[in-house]
Amino acid sequence: MRRILVILCVSAGVTAGSFLSRTVSADGIAERARKLHFSSIVLDTHDDTTQRFFSKDFDLGKRNPDGHVDIPRMREGGMNAIFFSIWIDGRIMGPPAVEKALDQIDAVHENVLRYSKDVVFCRSAEEVRRAHAQGKIAALMGVEGGHMIGNDIRVLRMFGDLGVRYITLAHFYNDEWADSSTDKPAHNGLTDFGKDVVREMNRQGIMVDISHVSDKTFFDALEVSKAPLIASHSSCRALCNHPRDMSDDMIRALAAKGGVIQINYERSFIDQAYKDAYDKVSGGVVAATEKITKECADDADCIGRKSKDLQTQLEASGALPRVSWERIIDHIDHVVKLVGPDHVGLGSDFDGATMPDGMEDCSKLPKITEALMRKGYKDEDIRKILGENLLRVMEQTENASRELQAR
Amino acid sequence: MQDGETRIEMPRIFLTAALGVSTCCFLAVAVKSDEISARAKKLHFSSIVVDTHDDTTQRFLDGKFDIGARHIDGSIDIPRMREGGLDAIFFSIWIPSKVTGQEAVRRALTQIAAVREQVSAHPKDLALATTASEVRAAQKRGKISALLAVEGGHMINSNLDVLRNFAGLGVRYMTLTHSGNDEWADSSTDTPAHNGLTDFGKDVVQEMNRLGIMVDISHVSDKTFYDALEVSKAPMIASHSSCRALCDAPRNMTDQMMKDLAAKGGVIQINYHVGFLSQEFRNAERANPEINKAIGEEVQKRCGDDEACQLLEGDRLTREYVERGKLPRVDWEKIVEHIDHAVKVAGADHVGLGSDFDGANMPYGMEDASRLPKITDALLKKGYSADDVKKILGENTLRVMAEAERVGRELSKQPRE
Repeated sequence: MRRILVILCVSAGVTAGSFLSRTVSADGIAERARKLHFSSIVLDTHDDTTQRFFSKDFDLGKRNPDGHVDIPRMREGGMNAIFFSIWIDGRIMGPPAVEKALDQIDAVHENVLRYSKDVVFCRSAEEVRRAHAQGKIAALMGVEGGHMIGNDIRVLRMFGDLGVRYITLAHFYNDEWADSSTDKPAHNGLTDFGKDVVREMNRQGIMVDISHVSDKTFFDALEVSKAPLIASHSSCRALCNHPRDMSDDMIRALAAKGGVIQINYERSFIDQAYKDAYDKVSGGVVAATEKITKECADDADCIGRKSKDLQTQLEASGALPRVSWERIIDHIDHVVKLVGPDHVGLGSDFDGATMPDGMEDCSKLPKITEALMRKGYKDEDIRKILGENLLRVMEQTENASRELQAR
Repeated sequence: MQDGETRIEMPRIFLTAALGVSTCCFLAVAVKSDEISARAKKLHFSSIVVDTHDDTTQRFLDGKFDIGARHIDGSIDIPRMREGGLDAIFFSIWIPSKVTGQEAVRRALTQIAAVREQVSAHPKDLALATTASEVRAAQKRGKISALLAVEGGHMINSNLDVLRNFAGLGVRYMTLTHSGNDEWADSSTDTPAHNGLTDFGKDVVQEMNRLGIMVDISHVSDKTFYDALEVSKAPMIASHSSCRALCDAPRNMTDQMMKDLAAKGGVIQINYHVGFLSQEFRNAERANPEINKAIGEEVQKRCGDDEACQLLEGDRLTREYVERGKLPRVDWEKIVEHIDHAVKVAGADHVGLGSDFDGANMPYGMEDASRLPKITDALLKKGYSADDVKKILGENTLRVMAEAERVGRELSKQPRE
């Protein structure tokens, strides 16, 4: 997401009390929900934890005082399948982007090997199911930004062979062949090469991710792709008018072709009041990002620090309203009302976004199951939302790949 | 390039193209090959024949070359591998030493993809193999094993993450340098810059051990060889080098180096390049530097930076000089002389085949992979036992591969930082 404004939230003491009161309910729903949650495949399609693998202070195997994801908290939250995001700044292109992506792919594999008692690397829906049956966490990879293939279809294939299971066509900036939702249109959607990229992803069984892309890029990809698409971490524009979210029309079109929107928990994507206040004080995410980037002369550390400072400052000044985790449920419910329960899932953006109150990290995920149950959702539908929908798209993508390769 | 050494390696030219002029000689050789004994044929075609170095990958890059079709140029395609009983082939991932940094990484990835494309396009004939047992299994199913090798440490851009990704994609050996020094190891055909392996270079070797990737010391300086030999926990290979005692090229190994390699279980895979096999050819090249210069210039004119074209044209031109009597003719029997020398010095457990097909200038009678049974025949005629011949044809290489895998598994068990 706007990784630029990454804040790793530390849960405040004040809010801890209210969480406790929530989990102890007398009507039996809490217990039923826990049972359902912890017997389901709970799959999150977007986590930026990969960036933390490069920090000496982070250990995936231990409970960390900051951030949103580690093995102890995944166990606690019943999150048993995770897409680690391979991400670098969208303005890095060509061979440097390729090598940096390789560094991150390696970091994911190394961390999986290091914690092989708990985590297993998975390349297919079937492998995710097998990992779940063995009580292990399934680790998968998504490349967040088409710029990392270095304009080279063969590099894309090698990412596939290294285990990458989705590629987001663009990130925050346009790449060489696809327009981003947060940049000025340069290609009118997908270029011809961009369409070839989508076709090759279909052939390789790599899911096409349309989070971050412009509306035109989305519709172009939808037309070209032989497999359903995913939005790995986007929410609903009808509830929060952000270019990173999807309009109802887009969600309907995505669903009509079997795809899934994985709801992003970022505050400014799920809450209109928060987004408006943020835009007002910062001049909008694009402007704020550009300003900080310019001030820092592209130095990544400086950008991270300044972004964090800005966020802290805004929050402390009371300029930004609080956002409750229940907004996530509103977005899920909106999609379900619009296109049914087969086309929505979870794409938290943990470790890459600002989490709403009550969803401080992945240990809080059972609350989503309980909230959906309280809304009257059927167990079966909840399971779909927690992970089965995404596994279905993965399987469809694998089938499409087999068919295309048989030709 | 800088000197006579690099001309040989660098433009990697020297593909064998059957020219009209030389057809008669090939025919004569072909008749001779019919004389291969029934015993040799039987042994050859029941053995696992492994070639550790082939530059055919360059031909894959434009996406037009079909390895399934018989070609009139070059040395490798499926029909000729079948004809020559070649069961396992290491496709070399190679870019010139001068291409470094992130561009080198990207181009190496592209070449790995190109090899994998050929394998998936011919599932009936080819199978990607990453272990010795996969090679054996493929041979049992009648398939040719395709293996991946990175020829030159510059392609990892001093980054162990990249090395691990190469391993993940199936790379089974890496040559520590190519014809130029890289950032952490000296080459045999460059001015020493690191006094062998740097500390990081030693880390690279250790990580290769952990990954079960064979350490290849072809192309490296003598000091780099000894440094690697000391550091490596697994036996090493010289994937395509010959004997310096018979042809004094820095790319070849001295008797002492071969003995030391063997003492730690390693294997030297004999290179068929005429400039490494024949002292006479090498002397002629050095005595007439204008020939190499003229060939280099003509190749540049015809090909620019197209490496696949350089391979074809360089060889074509070199053969023309041989036909005109400007360079001596070298016959395939020289290969057997080098094998025999290495066996005498290091033992039959430490010699194998590393042709350099499609990347070097082949001797007369070894124009392509279809001629390989002649080697088996010649060794049997020399009195080699069937067992020893099998070892040389491939078992020695498979032994080192399996041992590198075993060491990799051992080291992977140890806790890491």
